[in-house]
Amino acid sequence: MLSQPVSRIHLDNVSQSFGKNDNQVHLFSDLTLSIEQGRSYAITGPSGSGKSSLLMLMSGLEVPSKGSCYYINDETTSPLQSLRNHIGFIFQQFHLLPELTALNNVALPLKLRGQKDAINRAKEWLKKVGLSHRLHHTPKQLSGGEQQRVAIARALVFEPNFIFADEPTGNLDTKNASDVADTLFDCCKENGAGLIVVTHSDELAARAQHNFSLKNAANQFISSTSEISPC
Amino acid sequence: MLITNLRLAWQFYRQEKGLSHHRFMSWTQAILMIFIVTLSQTSNSIQNYLTDNLNNLLGADLVISQTSELTASQQEKIVELSQQHTVTKSLSTTITHQGKWQEIKLKGVGDVYPLQGELKTSYSLNEQAQTTLSGPSQGEMWVDSRVLASLSLQIGDRITLADQGFKVTRVLLHEPDRMMEGHNVDMRAMINVTDLDALAFPADLIKHRYLLAANTQQTAKLIAWQKSDLPAAQISHKQGAHPLALFWQRTENFIGLASIILFFMAAIAIEQLTHVHMRKEKYFSAVCMSLGASKATGIQISILKWLFHWALMLPVVLAISALLHAALIHWLTATFSDLAWQWNMLLAAKSVLAISAVLLIFQLPIWIGLKQSSIVQLVNNIELKKSVWFTSSCALAVLFLVAFAYSDNGLLTSMVLVSVALCIGLILSISWLSLTVGEKITQNISGLVPFALFMMKQRLVSKSTQILGVGLCAFLLLFILMLLRDLGNTMSAYQRQHDGNLLVSQATAKQMIDLSSWAQENTIPIRQRKPYMHAKLIGINNQQVSEAIDKPSESLSTFKKSIRLHWSADIPSNNELVDGQWWSGDNPNWQQISIEQEVMTDLGLDIGDQLTFHIGQQNYQFTIVASHAYKPGAGSITFWVQMPASALQHIKAPHYNMASLELTEQQFTLLGDLWQQHPTLRMVSLDELTAHFDSILAMVTQVISGFSVIIILLAFIVVLSSSHALEAAEKKKNSIIMSFGFNKVTCLKLSLVEWITTGLIAATGAISGTYLAGVLIYQSQFSLTYQPDFLWLIGTMSIILAIVTTLGVYASKNSLKSSIRQLLTE
Repeated sequence: MLSQPVSRIHLDNVSQSFGKNDNQVHLFSDLTLSIEQGRSYAITGPSGSGKSSLLMLMSGLEVPSKGSCYYINDETTSPLQSLRNHIGFIFQQFHLLPELTALNNVALPLKLRGQKDAINRAKEWLKKVGLSHRLHHTPKQLSGGEQQRVAIARALVFEPNFIFADEPTGNLDTKNASDVADTLFDCCKENGAGLIVVTHSDELAARAQHNFSLKNAANQFISSTSEISPC
Repeated sequence: MLITNLRLAWQFYRQEKGLSHHRFMSWTQAILMIFIVTLSQTSNSIQNYLTDNLNNLLGADLVISQTSELTASQQEKIVELSQQHTVTKSLSTTITHQGKWQEIKLKGVGDVYPLQGELKTSYSLNEQAQTTLSGPSQGEMWVDSRVLASLSLQIGDRITLADQGFKVTRVLLHEPDRMMEGHNVDMRAMINVTDLDALAFPADLIKHRYLLAANTQQTAKLIAWQKSDLPAAQISHKQGAHPLALFWQRTENFIGLASIILFFMAAIAIEQLTHVHMRKEKYFSAVCMSLGASKATGIQISILKWLFHWALMLPVVLAISALLHAALIHWLTATFSDLAWQWNMLLAAKSVLAISAVLLIFQLPIWIGLKQSSIVQLVNNIELKKSVWFTSSCALAVLFLVAFAYSDNGLLTSMVLVSVALCIGLILSISWLSLTVGEKITQNISGLVPFALFMMKQRLVSKSTQILGVGLCAFLLLFILMLLRDLGNTMSAYQRQHDGNLLVSQATAKQMIDLSSWAQENTIPIRQRKPYMHAKLIGINNQQVSEAIDKPSESLSTFKKSIRLHWSADIPSNNELVDGQWWSGDNPNWQQISIEQEVMTDLGLDIGDQLTFHIGQQNYQFTIVASHAYKPGAGSITFWVQMPASALQHIKAPHYNMASLELTEQQFTLLGDLWQQHPTLRMVSLDELTAHFDSILAMVTQVISGFSVIIILLAFIVVLSSSHALEAAEKKKNSIIMSFGFNKVTCLKLSLVEWITTGLIAATGAISGTYLAGVLIYQSQFSLTYQPDFLWLIGTMSIILAIVTTLGVYASKNSLKSSIRQLLTE
């Protein structure tokens, strides 16, 4: 039996398309799904099937062409934009600020929120992702795997309700990809954050509790639930 | 191959010309080119005008001027060496009429006058000018229209000068030998030379001018004769340079030197843009190389693109320069009537080539960077550190080239460079200190300000360059504005405080005695009183002055005329010893001399050098034993050249005095009697001084305002360029911040805080730099104590802050167009 979800994102009958008139491209149509905090989700599908667009809709950064998206917290429904402060992102290209050390990169969101113990909490998080010995290294001095761990720590340090990760292991070799995936899923689990991963990797997608698969040809959408334990 | 590359370069040039960095680069380069081309063309027009002027306004083929009359044998010599001659005698004097007085330049002319050219007069103010074949008859006086207005005179009125009556019969409109007066604005009057002799003015106050008609051979012989027999005399001839030519050369040099500042700002803007430009060029080169092209192809295309850019910019630059040149000539006709617009194509080509060479040096780092790059470096995006140093070295090389090209005065060049260097050092230190301290202090404080300080500290190098650019622009603007504003205020306040409101610039011993008793009778305090004699520098280390010194300077042009030689046993209370040793009272060696510090620098003199002065009718040699400088607080009457008081026993020459008095408004009316008694007493009231100063200031204001416009334009480009250089990084930073759950308003607020901080640091640096430059330059160039108005400075700082912030945030608008989707798609 799964624990009672704290909050969830709900997409109701949404369609997404871009372009005008004859040049309109439909990514997906009439899609309904829910993302619960504390659970993990993978979005898979071929290039151009609309994975990133779905991610943008779920995070409230874009609005659908049709349908509605909202955030439900303790039965209170509010627009997705109200969730803005409680979501974090992880990118394929890591996107760390090159002039900042690992420690300062992780402390960044806390400093912006005006938290006094930003540096100490950043240190804790870097320790959690196994980089306590790399605190004062700049991104250039870190390997790809290490950079992505810093990015994971940075996304989770301000304890968001949901984490959206776009191809988080896409730039890593198999060994590093596996290690980073372990860190990502473990940390989300520990933090009670919902994790939504866009990926081409079957191995990574298999780690998620739910898998949303988008298919180009017929705008098909397949939702499945895996049997692995929830994070 | 070249044709293919040409086609490719043309295609890429057309694609790139609309890009922001390309546009900013074009503006910067165009501004520099327009400035240099306009300056050289205008200067050339003035020099040409002066040459024409020399030929038309000398009033003779050759003119010899000196204070004393030529001896009989000398007069015989000039008769022998010339075809015809005439003499004019002139002096400054004061004429009075119905209780009013006016200082004038009075000229006595003989029957042969004018020797060459046209003398123009009229019988009334509104009448047309008539060519007059000879000067005034005895008992007549011709005055210029300003004298008529000043003394409310009518044609036919009688005027009194030293108890002798004259009838004003004509309005004096034009004298053919007027050029010899240079650009002085003294009011003028002319009488017959026999009348002038009858007035019996002291001989040493009269300037004698011998106007000679001579052919080329005679001119050469006269020049040689003057050098050997009349070394203290001034000589001007049609084959020589205009007396003002050096002055205008110096003006051009000064403006050129000031352009160091423009080049420095341009260097900052170009340095910022080079980052973006180099990245794009490298990317292009990488694509070419990955497609099998050679490294040389990439460089060749880059060079060709630059050449296309240069060739297309040139017509625009020349057109705008021609328009500006025409506007400047129009404006200058107020000073140089008949100055006409003329375009010197050869000079334009030379200027364009020189500035293109400078732009080429700025461009070199990009091509060198491409030459050093390899596919591996391009793929891994490795920054070539050498290129950064090379860019800075190129910028420095350009600045030194400009300084070298325009420098004619070591002290002024050093002061401009030292002021700029000080300001740079100051702004960099303030940037580092304030960001470090600010970040440390706010480390445990929440909010956007601490975060902005933290980010700026992390990007210290790039931020410092941005702050430096903005700060230098602000410094330059502030300094020139301050110079305009404070110079007038400080000067009048200072003179009022220390010098009284009436300055006596020349009083003979007899006049000084009468002046003292007149002052005592009317209870008028004499603030200062200092004696001097006239001396003309004729030799330096046994060489003629013209042979010893070839660089034009303010000091040299003054030394071409007689200077005031002061004597003093001790160092005057308003002087301080800078170098060497002042003489002691009991030292029997009287042939010692102390020279003012700046004069030493200007003329390249050293302690121990020998100077020969023509004093009275004899030559005297002195050794420089000391160098002195002005010290404020004890009156402003100071002398460039001073000798021991013991020298008076050995030198026979008339003594004069300078003095200053403080008169009440009512007491000014008493001056009329004094002038009637002593028409040659030279006095000038503070009001007249201020009026003269104001007219100079008005001209300087216009020149500086034009210069400010160029600085403001470049300042805008510096801010836009520095913002553009950081745009990619800023955009990424904003997107990342948004990925932490923040919106665009937060990014805007951050940008605002960053630009306010940038503006604050830049303004603080600029104001401190201005203060330092004020102390340095005011003291040495104007002998004034700099007293800044802090309220005015704070007001200016607020304006700078507002403009920088607004412009900065406007320039950052592109970096605010960021989104998380961009991070996803990268």
